[in-house]
Amino acid sequence: MAAGRRFRVDPSLVIVTVLLVAVLIAGFTLSERFGTLRNLMNVLEQAAALGFVSLGQSLVVLVGGIDLSVGAVVTASTVLMAAVVEMNPAWMVPMIPGVLAFGAFIGFINGFLVLRTGVHPLIVTLGTGSVLNGLVLLYTLQPTGGVPYWFEEFAYGRIGPVPVAGLVMLVCFGFVWFFLKYTAMGRSFYAVGGGEESARLSGIDSNRVILIAYTACGFFVALAGAYFVSRTGVGDPRVGEPFTLASITPVIVGGILLGGGKGNVLGALLGVFLISLINNLLNYMDVSTFIQWIVQGLIILVAVSVYVNRERKL
Amino acid sequence: MKSKLLSFVALAGLAAGPAMADYSGLPRTFLWNPDYNQMIDTSQFAKEGPYTIGFSNASQADLWLVTFFHGVQWAADRNRDKLARFIVTDANSDPTKQVSDIQDLLNQDIDLLLVNPATADALDPILRRTMRSGVPVVTAARRVESDDSFVSFVTASDTALARMSATWMAETLGGEGRVVLLPGLAGASPAEMRLNAAREVFAQFPGIEIVDTQYTSWSPANGKQIMSAIIQREGADTIDGVWADSGLQGSGSVEAFLNAGVASSDIPPHTGGDLNRMYKLALEHGFPFAGIDYTPSIGISAVGLALDVLEGASVPKRLDVNFQVVISEGDETESIKADVMLADYVAVDRPDDFIMGHGMGPDYDPKTFSVDLPN
Repeated sequence: MAAGRRFRVDPSLVIVTVLLVAVLIAGFTLSERFGTLRNLMNVLEQAAALGFVSLGQSLVVLVGGIDLSVGAVVTASTVLMAAVVEMNPAWMVPMIPGVLAFGAFIGFINGFLVLRTGVHPLIVTLGTGSVLNGLVLLYTLQPTGGVPYWFEEFAYGRIGPVPVAGLVMLVCFGFVWFFLKYTAMGRSFYAVGGGEESARLSGIDSNRVILIAYTACGFFVALAGAYFVSRTGVGDPRVGEPFTLASITPVIVGGILLGGGKGNVLGALLGVFLISLINNLLNYMDVSTFIQWIVQGLIILVAVSVYVNRERKL
Repeated sequence: MKSKLLSFVALAGLAAGPAMADYSGLPRTFLWNPDYNQMIDTSQFAKEGPYTIGFSNASQADLWLVTFFHGVQWAADRNRDKLARFIVTDANSDPTKQVSDIQDLLNQDIDLLLVNPATADALDPILRRTMRSGVPVVTAARRVESDDSFVSFVTASDTALARMSATWMAETLGGEGRVVLLPGLAGASPAEMRLNAAREVFAQFPGIEIVDTQYTSWSPANGKQIMSAIIQREGADTIDGVWADSGLQGSGSVEAFLNAGVASSDIPPHTGGDLNRMYKLALEHGFPFAGIDYTPSIGISAVGLALDVLEGASVPKRLDVNFQVVISEGDETESIKADVMLADYVAVDRPDDFIMGHGMGPDYDPKTFSVDLPN
């Protein structure tokens, strides 16, 4: 009995894995180049940004929140990093932890405001995102700044065939998975997401947990920002726009419950691979971008209808 | 040197061909350019055909971009005997998606990358890497920052277009008046280059006051909404001219004046080509007008140049596709003369949303256009 429980597989992981395998089979069947190592490694690299942002979003959703400022934080991080480094290229190395600290700080502010005001995180984070977007657009309407060529290696560099950015993303997911599964603080994320009040009654400092979740989210989102600076060489004031909603798709598809308390970040990782492989495959099939949108929308709708907790909708 | 010049002239002439109605000379930007054109030896890229070309498109977000996109496909179809595959991706205005699109194209062993970059900066690293990997890059309509990120850039001169339209506006107003500037999409290189060039011209006329500058994303709806707000704030009769870098938003501006109850005869001078509706409005209401098309036939010329690169021909680093100046009757100025008068240019029998200068012949209809390319 105990052994049976130990090996019980999370059903949401099964669903996303089945979908992933289906896409892989379709890819191998429809395009001879889809299954090449070169392509799959390309997809791993391309998935990095969505991976970082979705990892951050997963943490916030697990504690019962949501962060709609992620797109703005990605944008602000890229512009901040590229602008500062262009002014003084010697700041390139200090700006890497610097921009991550910036993201973490914005995340902390989000968490603080959610706790302090008691307003739904959807509204709070939409507000902070709007403030950040406004500040960035006041500073620049166009891509700005620049970084030394060597920093491109974060996005384009390879260790053997494996892309550096993809590897960093996998390490981040591994670290967070371990943290959530094997540390007391990690397990308290589920307790807080399952019910803040009952967690508090169980002796968990739920405010601290929520603050950590939002701060970590900001950190990972800023990592996506650094990746974009590496990939494009500039700070683009619109680069983060698609990520606010895009970050939620892998979270839902990966089976993390909107409302919190249940789910596995490995599910979100599989969700990231699923979305990235679908986009890649549709490119190989010469399918219009608009159809790519439709497919992504359908995936969200199907996933939501499968996983939604009918009693605790957002 | 002479043969290189001749090959450029031939190429420029070809580029001029599809877009022309009356003016059939070489592009003015070629004739007036004080520098020598840099010619690129492409023998290192020469290959036996048929070729596999990857086309990474930035967006189909406005009517001009749709027509440009059709032009590229039309030209590929006309050259299908030289093509094994012509693979198309569209980034939907997202530069980061475009980087991924280009990686996906490179993975399909393309012989050449044709690209309309979403922004001038963000595509620089991936295109530089593409060139370094031995795949030649031809950019169309928009360029990227570094010269070593592409073999050749096919365009129509944004600076010439904007200088001519701004000069026409300043001279039409006798060097004095309050002018609204309506540029296109913030951050897109054509919009920024045109805006800077127009400002450069207006700065030379101390009597010209810039009332406001508002980006419009080349959208008729945005043009109308923005100009309506400016009219509300400033009063229609205090605005002496509207410089728009395209008729896409320019037509919206004219509609805003009409909506505000301004009589046809009181609509201030406007600039902006491309959109048939703009030409129709100018003809119907008779306000002073100068239109210069940023011809979408750039796409057609870019495919031709891409094939030249793969055949190892010498190509210019920058190829300017011709444009022509369209001016309403009696409104030529000291410096800016018409190549064709408005009444002779407007396509009265074509729809309002028709983009001029497409170069695809009289039967082209964007609503029914379709080609089946080998991919």
